[in-house]
Amino acid sequence: MLPHTWLSRRIDPLLLRLGQLTGWLWLLLLLTIVGNVTLRYAFGEGYIQFEELQWHLYATGFLLALSYAYQTDAHIRVDILHERWSPRTRAWIELYGTLLMLLPFLTLVLVYSIPFVHSSFMHGEVSQAPGGLPLRWLIKAMLPLGFALLLLAALSRLSRVWSLLFLRRADTVEAGSGSDHER
Amino acid sequence: MSGSELLAVLMLLSFIGLVFSGFPIAWLLGGLAVLFTALAIVLDVDFQVPIGLDWNYASITVDRIWNVMENWVMVALPMFIFMGLLLDRSGIARDLMTGFARILGGVRGGLAITVTVIGLLLAATTGIIGASVVLLALLGLPVMLRQGYDPALAAGTVCAVGTLGILIPPSIMLVLMADRMAMSVGDLFLGAVFPGALLGALYILYLLGYGLLRPESAPATPRERVDWRVILELFAAILPPALLILAVLGSIFMGLATPTEAAGVGAAGALLLAWLKRQLKPGVLPEVLRETTQTTAFIFAVLLGATAFALVLRGLGGDALIERALLSLPFGPTGILICILLATFLLGFFLDWIELTLIILPLVAPVVVGLGFDPVWFTILFAVCLQTSFLTPPVGFAIFYLKGVAPPGVDVMTIYRGVLPFIALQLLALIILFYWQGLVTWLPAQAYG
Repeated sequence: MLPHTWLSRRIDPLLLRLGQLTGWLWLLLLLTIVGNVTLRYAFGEGYIQFEELQWHLYATGFLLALSYAYQTDAHIRVDILHERWSPRTRAWIELYGTLLMLLPFLTLVLVYSIPFVHSSFMHGEVSQAPGGLPLRWLIKAMLPLGFALLLLAALSRLSRVWSLLFLRRADTVEAGSGSDHER
Repeated sequence: MSGSELLAVLMLLSFIGLVFSGFPIAWLLGGLAVLFTALAIVLDVDFQVPIGLDWNYASITVDRIWNVMENWVMVALPMFIFMGLLLDRSGIARDLMTGFARILGGVRGGLAITVTVIGLLLAATTGIIGASVVLLALLGLPVMLRQGYDPALAAGTVCAVGTLGILIPPSIMLVLMADRMAMSVGDLFLGAVFPGALLGALYILYLLGYGLLRPESAPATPRERVDWRVILELFAAILPPALLILAVLGSIFMGLATPTEAAGVGAAGALLLAWLKRQLKPGVLPEVLRETTQTTAFIFAVLLGATAFALVLRGLGGDALIERALLSLPFGPTGILICILLATFLLGFFLDWIELTLIILPLVAPVVVGLGFDPVWFTILFAVCLQTSFLTPPVGFAIFYLKGVAPPGVDVMTIYRGVLPFIALQLLALIILFYWQGLVTWLPAQAYG
């Protein structure tokens, strides 16, 4: 279990809260689909806005969910060996993995998705379907937003790993941190 | 082998090696994509080895992620996940267990058959191996052990039936496979109907035979009087979830609804069912929503990482390399197919279906289809292979999940012993499906009639 730090105590509660809110998007998506189906089969009317709203909600949902799953350590690991290693060894892997793998990937997506959203904003891009949703840049912006939240979560985790490896003192180790659920 | 192909091989090997570090697979995939792009650029610029990758190419990742975002079929995925989790929580499985056990309990091996039937009915909706194995273990294992079942038989049944769930429509694995293979979800669901039924039937026949030959290991309960009331109660327990799943599948098969619509309405149905059964206690819904968020996130994280990985691997000529390597195997088309399935089986020892579906399937599928095999048939064989792999010692996923929740008397060796006969049944089913393609392809073909 990793010790909490000044940084993680500020970031983690925020992200946890946001993750719990993200869950309600699925209920909203469910209602949208049911509403859509009802309109189509009962009244023979199809609304392209609602059809598009479905994938807008879904995309927002899975992108915002990334950081929540990261924080609750739900992302898939192959733990055949991992389980047998000491917390310190695991912390080293977490440190190198985050620095060499996760952060470069986040950087790639962030660096190239911001111009992607910007150009959509400048062109005032809207849905190509007649009657589709406006403000296409807004849904596109969910991509850098989701990855920026993931970056925040990664920095928080990094500070905790750092603290375990290099600054471990009695006062930084807390019993029962709330965010380390096992899947 | 050119410089870029060498990099492609190195990239695949790095992935397989680094996976064992236990660092999340999604980030390994994405990170390797960036690392190898950087490596290619350094080789290109500083060492004059022409590779032809640059950051512009790697940035296509963003467009690919956008394609995932606006993919309206994949909207079905979180809805199916939600539906499965909710059915798990709503006590439907428990009602089925009591109902079936009262009727089938009088038959030798009847409790194990009960677990099989419930697994077929309910695991169908989860498609997450861990979830269905744990559910069946908590539900069925204590009852069977108390009844005096051989622990190996009980454990083997739970493992096998739990993994069967990923194959039975509407499973989320099939939705994801259909997306990667650019096929219709309905076709793949239809293709999986008979293979799933075949496996279920083989399991039940085995359990019946076991009960006949070794009655002391699978004893019957002292016969309870089965009257109308008992049958009615069972009926009341089976009917709602069975109708729900049939409605979801039926509306997709008959072309009445898109998979997305069916998933959304099915999820609403599950919610209604849980509410009617008064199982929607405070806290249940937020918990199910939270778990839906987590499950959706870890699947999509691997999807995003694999997108970047596959893009760079293709840029390095990895796809062409694998195609050439497979085609140069000294066997005919059937031999190549068997090699691919064998490799899938071995990879399934340490990779979950999510990675295999997202990375390996798109790499090998074009080769198989190019050899003239039916894509739906191949995908189903691939899926059965994966399922078998998750069941096979020493490192089957199902075994680990079961070990996590099994009572003290059930150790790893007992579980190993219990799954062996089921592995034989899986191989039998694979052989039947291999020689009798029609079992997979006939039903989807009818849908167009």
